[in-house]
Amino acid sequence: MELRQRHLAFWAIFIVGLYLMPELVSKGTLRTMIFACYLAIFAVSWDLLSGRTGYISFGHPFLIGIGAYTTAILTKRFDVAVEISIPIAVLVTMIGGLVVLLPALRIKGSYFALVTLAFMELMYQLVQVIRPDLTGGTRGMSGIETLTRGAVNGYYLAVTLMVILTFAAWLLMRTRLGTALWAVGMNEESVRGSGLSSTKLKMFAFLASAFTAGIGGAFYVHYLGSIAPRALFDINFLFTILVAALIGGAGSIIGPVFGAFFLVFLLEWLRPWLPGAERYFIYGGIALLVYMYQPKGMVAILESLYSRFWRARS
Amino acid sequence: MFPIIIQGLLLSGLYALIAMGFMLIFSIGRTLNLAYGAYLMIGGYVYFWISQQLGFPQIVGFFGAIAVGILMGLMKHQFIVRPLKGHHVAVEISTLILAVVLQAGIVLVFGDSSKILLPIVPGVVRVAGATVTYSILTATIISWLIITILYLFVRRTHTGRAMQAVSMDQKGAAISGVDADRINLITWGLSGALGAIGGAFFASYTQLSPAMWVTPLIISVAIVIVGGIGSIVGTLIVAHIIGFLEVIVVSVLAPELRGVSTMLLIIVVLIARPQGLFGRAEN
Repeated sequence: MELRQRHLAFWAIFIVGLYLMPELVSKGTLRTMIFACYLAIFAVSWDLLSGRTGYISFGHPFLIGIGAYTTAILTKRFDVAVEISIPIAVLVTMIGGLVVLLPALRIKGSYFALVTLAFMELMYQLVQVIRPDLTGGTRGMSGIETLTRGAVNGYYLAVTLMVILTFAAWLLMRTRLGTALWAVGMNEESVRGSGLSSTKLKMFAFLASAFTAGIGGAFYVHYLGSIAPRALFDINFLFTILVAALIGGAGSIIGPVFGAFFLVFLLEWLRPWLPGAERYFIYGGIALLVYMYQPKGMVAILESLYSRFWRARS
Repeated sequence: MFPIIIQGLLLSGLYALIAMGFMLIFSIGRTLNLAYGAYLMIGGYVYFWISQQLGFPQIVGFFGAIAVGILMGLMKHQFIVRPLKGHHVAVEISTLILAVVLQAGIVLVFGDSSKILLPIVPGVVRVAGATVTYSILTATIISWLIITILYLFVRRTHTGRAMQAVSMDQKGAAISGVDADRINLITWGLSGALGAIGGAFFASYTQLSPAMWVTPLIISVAIVIVGGIGSIVGTLIVAHIIGFLEVIVVSVLAPELRGVSTMLLIIVVLIARPQGLFGRAEN
């Protein structure tokens, strides 16, 4: 019990710290943190779908993109109010989640990853060609209504979203449902053998993930105010989400948040030395090393260090 | 009509060459080497560096690219695939990370902007209304040559048969005295070499850019998955299906839809027939 109280205290301090940030750091750092918050939401969304079930999604930008494009098109082209367009976007993204679920009913592992990758690339190409008057074609759209003005407000919104979504996902995964999702990842036949419907479990995970991705994508586009296909349906974007989730610790919900902040700040720290895409050289190198050393991510590494430290003291 | 057939044949030849190296790795370890596209990219860049920036003869450029390709294949096997002990998803994720790292490495060395590769063989010939560059013609001829050699190698030589054996059943192959580790190493080296050659030709067909690895990777994935595991003939046939589909879509519908047919093919085939069109069923 004592351990749990200490955990709670730690998280309370962490969250209060997050909310105090605007008083402590510059506007530039704050913008970095906003990106980290959204990346954390995307990584949590990825984790819900792939972290436990073993259905590795290589097409997560597909879901995020659906959410972002839906609300962008609705507000920009049809003058729909944001309060209505965002829920619609989330709903449409959940339908997208069901589309991703279809292949998962028959194939798994590498093949599933590839189908989702194909979904993403397909979306990238279609968005540019089909109704460019709506989607803005290759150049995308700009001048989309933003929800907040200034870095501070944007930051409060992003942090609040991230804390709520992460906490909800974490609670959800602590239930027996979360355990059942681990079981799906380990052995689907035995899940079915114990009388659970693996299809329903998968559907739940995919919908929860799409829900999170939809919210994240929709709010993100209303923060940025612009959208472009190559920035969204891109392997590098997928890579950032994937690495944030994996380096932090897939399956743990908290890990991906941790990973997202770590990676975004690593990229920022590298900026003075390597201004362009070269930063990914170091960033990817670190990710590869961590992943090769401990596939369960940094959370697992920290935990083992912590317990070793504890044992050494007692 | 004729231009479509000729363009289709040429493009398919190139695609078959690109996909061969990927297919070898996939059939032997069931691992999708997502850094395969990076072999092509690095092969293209090494060729560019040696033959265009240093001014050596082209053949030196090719051998340089092949050497680097082999080296990369061997290193990847030693440092990534072996430590992960064939854990498929782990290999895929780490090779994807590696591909992005290599892309960043290329940006670091050669810069972000794309580079135009001089035609490998300059000149153009017009055949039945279609404009054919000698470069892509050479690529297709060399591609067929390599595929024939590869086919004979896999079918006729001892090492090739051992490769087949390992791809069918690792344990069985080990019992019959095949050193699976050695075969794996050979295959990874071979795949690197094929990727590097394919990369030089692919780069001369499109252009050199740090992001050029994605398209050939997706094409190889599509060809191998639709063609099924471990079938050179299947790979060849599907390379033609994909090549022709692409040429037809580009010339009949719209050039922007270039890759759409490939994606749709991957999705439809994987959902309808997970073992591919020509592959043997996996247990």
